[in-house]
Amino acid sequence: MADKVFQREREFTKAYQRHINDHPAIREAACLKAQYPGALGPIEAGDLFAGRIRPAAVGFTPDEWGQTAFGYYHLPARFKEVLQRSDLSPEDRAEIEAMLEFWSKENTSTKVRARYTPEMLEVMPSDNWMNEPGMVFPLYRLCGAYPNYGKLVTLGLPGLRQEIRSAQENAERAGGDGELFAGMIAALDVLADSCQFYADEALRLADTAGAERARELRIMAEVLQAIKTEAPRTFREAIQLMWLYSIVADVRNYGRMDVYLGDFLAADLDGGRLTEAEALKLLQSLWQLMADRNTRVHGRVIIGGKGRPNEANADRFALLAMEATRTVLEIEPQLSLRFYEGMNPALMEKALEVIGEGRTYPILYNDDVNIPAVEHAFELPQEEAEQYVPFGCGEYIINHRSFGTPSGVINLLKCLEVTMRNGVDPTTGERVGLELGDLSSFATFDELFEAYKRQVEYLVDFMAMQEQMEYEVVGETMANLYLSMLYDDCIERGKGIFSGGIRYLGGTLETYGNTNTADSLTAIKKLVYEEKRISPEELLAALDSNFEGYEHIREQLLAAPKYGNDDPEADSMAVAVHEHVCHTVRNQREKTDLHSYLVVIINNSANTLMGRWTAASPDGRKARVSMANGNNPTGGMDKKGITAMLNSLVKLDPAIHAGAVQNMKFSPELFTSNRDKLQALLKAYFDNGGAQAMITVVNRGDLEAAMREPEKYQHIFVRVGGFSARFVELDRDVQLEILSRTLY
Amino acid sequence: MHGMIFDIQRASFHDGPGIRTTVFLKGCPLRCQWCHNPESWSFEQEVFYNHDGTTQVVGKHYTVDEVMAEVVADRAYYESSGGGVTLSGGEPMAQFPFSLALLKECKAQGIHTCMETCGHAPTDRYKAILPHVDLFLFDYKATGPDHKRYTGVGQELILANLEVLYEAGAEIILRCPLIPGINDSQEHFQAIAQLEKKYPRLRGIEIMVYHNLGNDKAKRLRRDPALPGLPNPSKETSQAWLDALRELGCEKVKIG
Repeated sequence: MADKVFQREREFTKAYQRHINDHPAIREAACLKAQYPGALGPIEAGDLFAGRIRPAAVGFTPDEWGQTAFGYYHLPARFKEVLQRSDLSPEDRAEIEAMLEFWSKENTSTKVRARYTPEMLEVMPSDNWMNEPGMVFPLYRLCGAYPNYGKLVTLGLPGLRQEIRSAQENAERAGGDGELFAGMIAALDVLADSCQFYADEALRLADTAGAERARELRIMAEVLQAIKTEAPRTFREAIQLMWLYSIVADVRNYGRMDVYLGDFLAADLDGGRLTEAEALKLLQSLWQLMADRNTRVHGRVIIGGKGRPNEANADRFALLAMEATRTVLEIEPQLSLRFYEGMNPALMEKALEVIGEGRTYPILYNDDVNIPAVEHAFELPQEEAEQYVPFGCGEYIINHRSFGTPSGVINLLKCLEVTMRNGVDPTTGERVGLELGDLSSFATFDELFEAYKRQVEYLVDFMAMQEQMEYEVVGETMANLYLSMLYDDCIERGKGIFSGGIRYLGGTLETYGNTNTADSLTAIKKLVYEEKRISPEELLAALDSNFEGYEHIREQLLAAPKYGNDDPEADSMAVAVHEHVCHTVRNQREKTDLHSYLVVIINNSANTLMGRWTAASPDGRKARVSMANGNNPTGGMDKKGITAMLNSLVKLDPAIHAGAVQNMKFSPELFTSNRDKLQALLKAYFDNGGAQAMITVVNRGDLEAAMREPEKYQHIFVRVGGFSARFVELDRDVQLEILSRTLY
Repeated sequence: MHGMIFDIQRASFHDGPGIRTTVFLKGCPLRCQWCHNPESWSFEQEVFYNHDGTTQVVGKHYTVDEVMAEVVADRAYYESSGGGVTLSGGEPMAQFPFSLALLKECKAQGIHTCMETCGHAPTDRYKAILPHVDLFLFDYKATGPDHKRYTGVGQELILANLEVLYEAGAEIILRCPLIPGINDSQEHFQAIAQLEKKYPRLRGIEIMVYHNLGNDKAKRLRRDPALPGLPNPSKETSQAWLDALRELGCEKVKIG
């Protein structure tokens, strides 16, 4: 029998409405029960593990679905689609319309926005950062959860249940409320039911499958039955449990996998229960499931690094994970290798082998720089900092102890653009910023720079406030049961993760246009104020006409020193811009209740998308062109070689933000013919203070050919910024931005 | 004291061991027809007339300190890779006082030094510079009368200087540009093989396969390329050269 239209959405909505006045944990548990197993996708051919997701148009997620959909979310586009159907009965239409009306007020994003002060609404008039000009935009989401997978696979469902039950009994004995724990138990039931759901499906599929596939499916069913009632005993069981949890909880980053799976792997290999080849096959299947999930910017698997108690076993897993990445040609998981001086060198060798094949993974993280940086930026002791993990596009948080959702974006180049024009955005002619005078009214460069700083500082106050409000709304309206049960301190404190349970609640602000802003300021300082070769009026006229008729001005601007050449003049400006925005943001921890509020220079394709809405800039960049990626030089402007570029990169202090991405594009020849020199190059960069490297290995000719004949070049993977992509699937201007990056 | 320099290329992977900073000195006594750096011939500043209508001045005066400021910035990369500084050109020996001072300063700062040279300079200057050069990349361009024909100078002084450097214990890699139809002759290959036998301590022999990127530069200098239309040799051709040299007993030869 066919389901009714929007059946899942109706059930979810009814559960929510029935419990609308109940404790958030109870309401959430009821919603989860309504959401699953409906939101579970079928087992697909070749899957060795069960767990696929198919989100409904209404639901609950601790992350985000779509642009502004998170928490209790609804997807208006899907409503619109179904309401356009001609075969919809009047009753169905009425019910769906009522649901849409209900959720358009009750969804979490709307609740966040409803809380904004009039001033905040003025500063952030729009949510549509991809399609409208603006200096700052809010992002409605929670993201980057790293629950304690290790605890999950060690205790299993029964152990976790027991721990929660005893916490519940203690709470109730002490006269407190046990509803949070009751919600957690119910959430565990949903997880156990999901095991059963998939076990049944696997057996059903086995009935009609060929012999080999039937065997795989029966093993899958056995594994699911086992983890439903017992803690995992094998590598396979541990993977199945972590995977199904991540699907049902909708958590999209997978933790320090070598730590929590390394012992299972080693025990199975050494005990003769599993061969290397079989283990690899399991990981390949897991990798494929992650790839098909297509989170785009998440899917992090962390391997290597300090703070691993079982280093030898973890290394064995890490090597296998890299082999899985080498052989599964997909853009997820975002395999990330933490390393330090003294770590087993086989890991870095394997990493370079995989990167050299053009895989863009693993992404490299230098613990010797990052751990002290995290200690300082987050003000944490070393043993906490050792548990840093990059999520999503590269924001650091502390594994199962902290959160750092990027809840806003700021376009620094737009801030400068508006500052030079007395608060007016030249792309719209509207006054959007503080009126501090225009370029000709600043007598000195310092006056201009101060005005820019004030513009940025004014905005950042609101962004931090916005982040805190977002968490407050979340803490009031949901318990985030799956996260709370696996985030440190929540069970002990008897509090939901965002209701006082989490140890370190932090936030982050994504900055864009950093490099173009710095290079623009360098050019203005030199040409307008020091050498007086261009007048302020002339500069603005040239920018406003996108350099048409002002080619000679543009030539001078382009010839001014540029960041990325180890040039003291350009780089010191980059440092000044970097330190200003990083400190301004970081100081918000004093003004808000957030444990930390930090800049992330992570980039995705926002440098391109926001560039489309940014006018011509004094660094010589034309209107609507991509801004530079992360804190990398503008493509093609780093002319002094890779070492000079790397020297520029390391001048930007990593200890005052929560992560920055360093993209490097190398030719395959460098990897094949000069591997030893390349290794030495990276070593010196990391010794000099390089925190991170994301390496794309590709020929320029192949990229150009891929733009002409995309169907033939599906295999080319590039690092966009905070995520990897198949080159042929990117927008044309994103492709051009990648092509423009200097190839070493 | 100033040197006339037309480029400082950091992160060079092909001009000696490790990661290097290559300093290209402007001005050369030779006029090799295949030269891929025609802007390196004159000791004066010149102008590139670019195809897009812009112009670009080639050549700039540097003090030793100015060069060193760029050189030391990459010290970490030299140390991790066993690299250092390479003087190239043009012909570094043609700006002898400056090159000597620069090399001395590099050595004083503990930086490994290479010098690429055509070998055509007064012998006493080679003797004077020898203590400050860790490795010579010494060109062997043509054999017999061909040398004068294709480079503008005879090879007697060059061979004498090679002998002097070798006997004085210098570390030397022989660099042999191979140009199809010009010097890819059996006679020239035999001469190379004989040098390997004669100088057993040679650290290596690198053949430098012709490429025609210099033609465009010549045009931008408003000069006629000496070898217009000569295509770049195929991989098979360069492999055949390598095989031919090995056949003649060259053991140290590889493609540079």
